[in-house]
Amino acid sequence: MTGTARRGTVRPTQPSKLRYTLAQLTVLAIIIVCVVVVDARWGRLIEAPPLALHYGGLMASGVVQDPFTVPYNEYWLVALELMIESLHMAWIGTLIGAALSFPLGFLAASNVAPAPVVFAVRQVLNVIRAIPELIFAIAIMMPIFGLGPLAGALAIGVGSVGTLGKLTSEVIEGVDPGPVDAVRSTGSRQVQVLRWGVLPQILPEVVAFWLYRFEINIRASAILGVLGAGGVGALLSQLFDRRLWDRIGITLVVIIVVTIIVDQVSGAIRHRIISGAPPTQGSAIV
Amino acid sequence: MTAPAPSVARPTKPRTNWPLWALLAAAAAMSVWSGIGIEFDLRPLFEDFGRGWFIIREFFAPNWAFIGRTIPAWTETLSIAVIASLVGCTIALVMSMLASQVTARSNWVYRSAKFVLSLVRSLPDVGYGLLLVALVGVGSLAGILALTMFNIGIVAKLTSETIDGVDPGPLEAADASGADVVQRARMAVLPQILPSYLSYCLYVFELNIRASVIIGIVGGGGIGAIIAVELSRFNYDNLSAIIVLLIVVVFAIDQFSRALRRRLV
Repeated sequence: MTGTARRGTVRPTQPSKLRYTLAQLTVLAIIIVCVVVVDARWGRLIEAPPLALHYGGLMASGVVQDPFTVPYNEYWLVALELMIESLHMAWIGTLIGAALSFPLGFLAASNVAPAPVVFAVRQVLNVIRAIPELIFAIAIMMPIFGLGPLAGALAIGVGSVGTLGKLTSEVIEGVDPGPVDAVRSTGSRQVQVLRWGVLPQILPEVVAFWLYRFEINIRASAILGVLGAGGVGALLSQLFDRRLWDRIGITLVVIIVVTIIVDQVSGAIRHRIISGAPPTQGSAIV
Repeated sequence: MTAPAPSVARPTKPRTNWPLWALLAAAAAMSVWSGIGIEFDLRPLFEDFGRGWFIIREFFAPNWAFIGRTIPAWTETLSIAVIASLVGCTIALVMSMLASQVTARSNWVYRSAKFVLSLVRSLPDVGYGLLLVALVGVGSLAGILALTMFNIGIVAKLTSETIDGVDPGPLEAADASGADVVQRARMAVLPQILPSYLSYCLYVFELNIRASVIIGIVGGGGIGAIIAVELSRFNYDNLSAIIVLLIVVVFAIDQFSRALRRRLV
C-alpha cells in the first residue's frame, strides 16, 4: 500500500460490497424461512431413489415387451390415439388464439391504433395473461361445453390470446417505417397500408410465435386432460390412480417421443421462416 | 405489341413457392383433422349457455370469507416455488454449462447433455407431478421435486443458448492462462451470462406459481390441493375467491419480477 502511494498513483478504492452482501443475506433468509415453513417431510427423499429404481424397472418392463403382442399393442395404440387427441386440442387452441390475438395485436400497437384503444386492449391482454389456462377451463369452458377436448381447446385458445396479442403488438411496433411510408405515399387507405406495408413485415415473426405457442400448448393440453378435458393427460391420471406401471411407462414414452418430434419439426419450420434460408446457406442459425 | 421493348427489363415473376404451399396445405389438413378429432362445435355456446351460466354465476359471487382459511396453503405454495426455483436453477446452471459447445469438455458431453435436456423438457409439468406423487407420496415434497424438474428444463435451455453467444475474448484469455474447464466457466463465462441467467431464474419463478397449482391438484400440496378439494365438492363460490386471489398473486409477482429483471439486463 505504501509503495503505491509513494509512486504517486492512487489505488482505486474497492467498490462497496455492502449491497451485494445484503442481497445475499436476504436471499439466504428467505430460503431458510421457506425450508422451515414448508411441511415437506424431507426424510422421504432418502427412500425415494430405491423406489424410483423399482418403479423405473416396472415401467421399463412394459416398454420392452414386444409391442405387437396382445395386451401391449392395445396399450401403445391407446396412448398414441390419446396423444393425437391432445395434439388436436393444442392445434385448435392455437388456431383460436391466433385468430383472436391477430386483430387485438394491431389494436394494441401504438403506431397503428389510437392511444385510448391501445391502453384498453393492453389491459385486457394483461388480465388474460395473468390467468392460467386451467382456470378458463374449470370456470368457463367446462360448465358450458362439458368435459372433453373441445372445452380444453377453447380454454387453451383464450389462454393463448394474452401472450400472442402482446408479442404481435410488439412486432408491429417494431416495423421498418420505410415500406409503410412508401405505401402511404401512393395514396392508400389505412387498411391498404396495413395490408401491404405492415403485414408482409410482421407475418414471418408472428407465424413463428404461433408455432412456438403450439409447442407450449401441447404441454397445456396434457394439464387440462388431467382436469377432465380428455387426451393423454386423462389417460395418464387414470393409469397413475391404478398404479399400472407398465402402461405408465408406455404412455410416457409416447408423450416424450411425440413431443420431441413435434418440437423438432416446429423448431425447424420456425428457423426457416425467421431466417428465410435453409441452414446450409451459411445464414446465422441460432 | 409492336412497341420497342422498354430499356428496363420487367422483373421476372417470382416462382411459385412450393414448400410454402405444401406447408399451408399441411396446416389446413391438420386443422380439419383436429377439428373433426375433437368434434369442434360452437353450438353449445348458444344452446347450453344456460346450463353453464348456472355455474358461472356462482363464480361471480366469491366467498371471500374462505380466503382466510387458505393462508397456510398460500405460504406453502410460495415456499415450494422458492425452493424449487433455487434448486432447479442451480442444477440448470451446471447442466447448461455441459450443454453448450463453448463450455463442454467434449463433443460427446455436449451431445448427451443436450439430449438429456430435451428429454427433461418433453414431459409436461403435470407428468412430473403425477410421477413424483407416486414416488414420494402426496405432499409438498412431491411438488418441490416436480417443479424442480420443470425449472431445470426451461432454465438450462435458455442459459445454454446464452452461453453459446458469449464474447470469445475472455475465453481465449482464460485458455491462455492455462485455466481448467471449471475455472474457465467460472471466470470467463459466468460473469458474462450472469444477468441473463438471473433473469431466467426470476422468469421461471413466475411460472412456478402457475405450475404449482396444477401440480397441487394432482397431489403436490399447496393451494392446488385446496382447489382440487373445492372442485370435487362443487364449491364454486370458494373456488372463485381462490382464483381471484391467484390472479392477483400471479400479477403481483409478475410485476415485481419484471421490475427486478429490467434492472438486471
